[in-house]
Amino acid sequence: MNILASYNWLKEHVKTKLSAEEFAKEFSLRSMSVESVEHLDQRFANMVIGVVKSIAQHPNADRLRVATVDIGEKEVPIVCGGTNLAENMRVLVALPGSRVRWHGGADWTTLEKTSIRGVESIGMICAPSEVGLDKVACGDHEIWDLTSIIDAPAGASVAAALDCDDIIFDIEITTNRPDAMGMIGLARDAAVAVDAEFSLGKFESVESRALESFSSHRITVKKDDDRCGRYMAAVVEGVTVGESPWWMQKRLLLAGLKPINVIVDISNYVALELGQPMHAFDAETIAKDTIVIRPAKKGEKLTLLDGKIAELNPSIMVIADAEKSLAVAGIMGGKDSGTTAHTTTVVFEAAMFDALTIRRGSRAIDVASDSQLLFEKGLSPSALPIALARAVELATELAGGTLVDVVDVYPEPRKPKVFAFNPEQARKRIGVDIADAQQIDILTRLGFDVAKKKSAYSVTVPYWREDDIEGEVDFTEEIARMYGYHNMPAVLPASRPPAAFDDASLDWAMWTKKFLAGAGFSEFFSNSMVSVADLEMYAVSPKDALALYNPLSADITHMRPTLVPSMLRAIERNQAFTNTANVFELARVYVPREGDIPEERMTLVFGEYGVTNAESTFMQLRGVVEYFAAKSGITLTFDRAPKNDHWHDGRTVTITFDGVTVGTLGQVADDFQNSFGIHRPVFLAEIDLEALFSSMKHAHRYQALPAFPVVTRDIAVLVDEKTEFEKISSVVRGAKSLVTDCRVVELYRGEGIPSGKKSVTVGVTLMAPDRTLTSQEVDDVMTTVIRELALRVDGVIRG
Amino acid sequence: MQDALIQLQTEALAVFLKVKTLDELEAARVEYLGRKGRLAEAMKDLAALDADAKREAGKIANDVKRTIEASFQATEARVVAGAAAERKAQEWLDVSLPGIAPAVGHLHLTTQAIDEISGIFAHIGFVRSRHPEVDWDYYAFESLNMPKEHPARDEWETFFIGDEGEVATGEKGKIVLTPHTSNGQVREIEKGELPIRMINIGKCYRRQASARHLPMFHQFEGLMVDKNVTVTELKGVFDYFVKRYFGPDRATRLRPYHFRFTEPSFELDISCAVCEGTGKIENGKCKLCKGGWLELGGAGMVHPNVLKAGGLNPDEYTGFAFGWGVERTMMMRSGINIDDIRTLYKNDLRFLTQF
Repeated sequence: MNILASYNWLKEHVKTKLSAEEFAKEFSLRSMSVESVEHLDQRFANMVIGVVKSIAQHPNADRLRVATVDIGEKEVPIVCGGTNLAENMRVLVALPGSRVRWHGGADWTTLEKTSIRGVESIGMICAPSEVGLDKVACGDHEIWDLTSIIDAPAGASVAAALDCDDIIFDIEITTNRPDAMGMIGLARDAAVAVDAEFSLGKFESVESRALESFSSHRITVKKDDDRCGRYMAAVVEGVTVGESPWWMQKRLLLAGLKPINVIVDISNYVALELGQPMHAFDAETIAKDTIVIRPAKKGEKLTLLDGKIAELNPSIMVIADAEKSLAVAGIMGGKDSGTTAHTTTVVFEAAMFDALTIRRGSRAIDVASDSQLLFEKGLSPSALPIALARAVELATELAGGTLVDVVDVYPEPRKPKVFAFNPEQARKRIGVDIADAQQIDILTRLGFDVAKKKSAYSVTVPYWREDDIEGEVDFTEEIARMYGYHNMPAVLPASRPPAAFDDASLDWAMWTKKFLAGAGFSEFFSNSMVSVADLEMYAVSPKDALALYNPLSADITHMRPTLVPSMLRAIERNQAFTNTANVFELARVYVPREGDIPEERMTLVFGEYGVTNAESTFMQLRGVVEYFAAKSGITLTFDRAPKNDHWHDGRTVTITFDGVTVGTLGQVADDFQNSFGIHRPVFLAEIDLEALFSSMKHAHRYQALPAFPVVTRDIAVLVDEKTEFEKISSVVRGAKSLVTDCRVVELYRGEGIPSGKKSVTVGVTLMAPDRTLTSQEVDDVMTTVIRELALRVDGVIRG
Repeated sequence: MQDALIQLQTEALAVFLKVKTLDELEAARVEYLGRKGRLAEAMKDLAALDADAKREAGKIANDVKRTIEASFQATEARVVAGAAAERKAQEWLDVSLPGIAPAVGHLHLTTQAIDEISGIFAHIGFVRSRHPEVDWDYYAFESLNMPKEHPARDEWETFFIGDEGEVATGEKGKIVLTPHTSNGQVREIEKGELPIRMINIGKCYRRQASARHLPMFHQFEGLMVDKNVTVTELKGVFDYFVKRYFGPDRATRLRPYHFRFTEPSFELDISCAVCEGTGKIENGKCKLCKGGWLELGGAGMVHPNVLKAGGLNPDEYTGFAFGWGVERTMMMRSGINIDDIRTLYKNDLRFLTQF
């Protein structure tokens, strides 16, 4: 929650001479974050009070007039479209060089001397929104008539004339500190933060004054709902409801609030001062002079102040009379029970409502208000008499009323919170030697009542911090922040190293990512949340995926149990711009478990899309898997995949580790390639890394280099297309013990090769552990190899 | 015999002098020094002589052989050097041709950030720990001093797991997509392995989607628990990280804030690089920061109730914790100027391969 706080107002309670910037800095470091500082003299720079001397029709425009305006030293012509422009009117003139918002738009522009449709215009007569005061009541196409507001002479500076020579801080108030939403609370914190004296100022008399008590009552209050902890009402008779004085309007405006009438303004002003929301009813609208606090009835409706019709139910609390509801408690008043120009008797309400009820009620009827924002943070019942007394004081002073009744329904008065406090604990947690006296001084100045006990202290929490302070540790925070985090040294922990080691799966996951990037694959990061369409398009039943109870939109409804659909989606999006690429994603998939949180398995998907040579792509991807396995010390085996839906049967293998299937490598089945809208073949490997992590190791074993020369011979064999290399290889390797390796050198089909056949060039490695082979020995082996190939795989040697 | 040898030497030296190319050099070598060359032939003739003559002629023959060989070597050196000079003069490359990039892949920016962040914390003894991303609300909220119905739980805009209008529940409450990595705090403490210096980096989820907020994002959570852990140590760790990650000239500050699971709580700010911490740029207010400071994330001393939930005695142990967004941290440094954070996860290779 952010508030706009006037520095002048704060300075009524904090005796400081700091510049606004210094104040903002110190305050941010010890209290709340000041997000911006606005100097109003700058906003109103080059603006003066003008008095309209005469008005003439613009010669070239029907809707414009030319006013001659006295701006002090001289009279100047200003073209103006304001419909309410009148002679002798006191107006706000923005002279060239000032900054205004055209018609109250978002952007500020610098005004220049100009001529409008052929008539010279020295500046501009402004509407309130054009100088950033959007909340001032002002009709469309009207200018701001200051005649009744101020009597400053022509030429007076606007900032001074409007008593706006002020600085406005935009401050973020943390949710635990509704007290600081009021100027008094904010000032109290600020005084400690900037080390200045705090005073209640004019407010002091109110805080110490008890409201009168009345023996006979003008109104009756019935509290039929426990969610209201305390309800106070004060009846003020004989009020005249007009506009509030400018000083009050100005403070509301600068805080971003809209002045309405003196009674509503008083309620809002007290809330600004104290952080305690108030409400005011027109007593005439309360049937039988009875206020009832009760749960709303099912189906009950109430037209609110903003015109919206709220549909209520018993989870929502209302303020009602004997017949009907008047207001939604703590959230917003009803349209018909508010004060108007005809009101003569008002009932001020100050109440304490259950925070959760207000929060839920506001969500349920979708109505937000400043009052609700405060109530839902948790306020103290002890603030009520003070707020009410202040409202009554202001009403008597500004609206001419007389207090005739005060009612207080408070069945279970709260006791102040008291906690033991040991300054040594604070020192220990902060790590700085802050003396007892300094700690106690900080607490005392913040309003805590500190009493010395035998070995420790006992601290009473002031009512305005009742919800926030929950125990001794909270005092540490007060002391630490006011001492100043910026005054503390930064120390690297010198204590014992941690007991745990890095999680191995995370290490291996990062290692795998780097391995793949090194091998030429680029990394995708897809959302773990996928749609039903994604799942169904990949023939995964949504029942096998974890569903979200409250998805944000239809395209993110389930936690993915496989990475493949996201991968296919990403490929589809890329193919138009990058027609082929090597890509991967490594992420957790979520496997549902009955009555338990899901199993999260780190999974890898990688591959190539836009494939033109299936055989070579397959070999490369398989090579990556094999190399990955070799580098991480595991042994994987590959077997032709059984018939299945997701993969292209003829071009896929399953990957097995330690007898368990851990993945698949091959071509995505045409059906899925098509359903995801992908134009060219996709080859992927999907590997359940979770099954491998515990066996992966950085195992580098040394193999002795051969002591005698190694001989390689390449031979090209013509075989049937469907003769697998593994068969050829086993024939070659089995031919003679001197054969130590058999590799693919080239695969060839095309000119010179009959259809249905392929030429496989194999590289045969021969070696003896104890001697150099003679060429005769090598020739003999190769003869045997050739004979065996002919015999076992119908291989014909080419060339 | 001797004359013939001397003549052979004279002839060979004369031929060598005329050799210009590598081919001529080879021809001359074969002619005079080859296995069946002229010198070899002459040596064969020696065998026919009687012992005395052989001794005398042999001496001369050896001199001749040495002379021819030396001359050949000099000739070879001359010709090879000449040929190299010739190649340098003739051979040419279009050196303006563009380079061919090595066929390496690209780690996602987020992976790069995670790797770098964990590396920095590893230097000061923090180990990476793994915790669920779909978890019990007990760990995401309850054990973090956020009882049921506490308004703080609304702030996280949490996704729940469930089907057919019912939230999935079990042993430890409702099942949620964890809205922060702080769910790892009590889980880590529960392991009972002390002291703790943990970094937990994982995916988090919140019900929000805009140019600045993603429903899925990453956080890194730091947790240190031991006897006598202090605010000043958190400050030290924060300073170390900022100076290593953002650069030694960046300033830091701790600013009071409020979180349920830490006490005291604060936000950590770093000075803005754009306006150099002044909050002002040439034409007015700096648009990137708030008054010269950028908010990095939240931190604080672990709340005693959180330590208790993990089974520790808060009078004996203290700790600090911090949780910051990976994407936010990365974008604050990189100057990659991504207006819309969603760009990170569009999986567009034209974007990804830039990094």
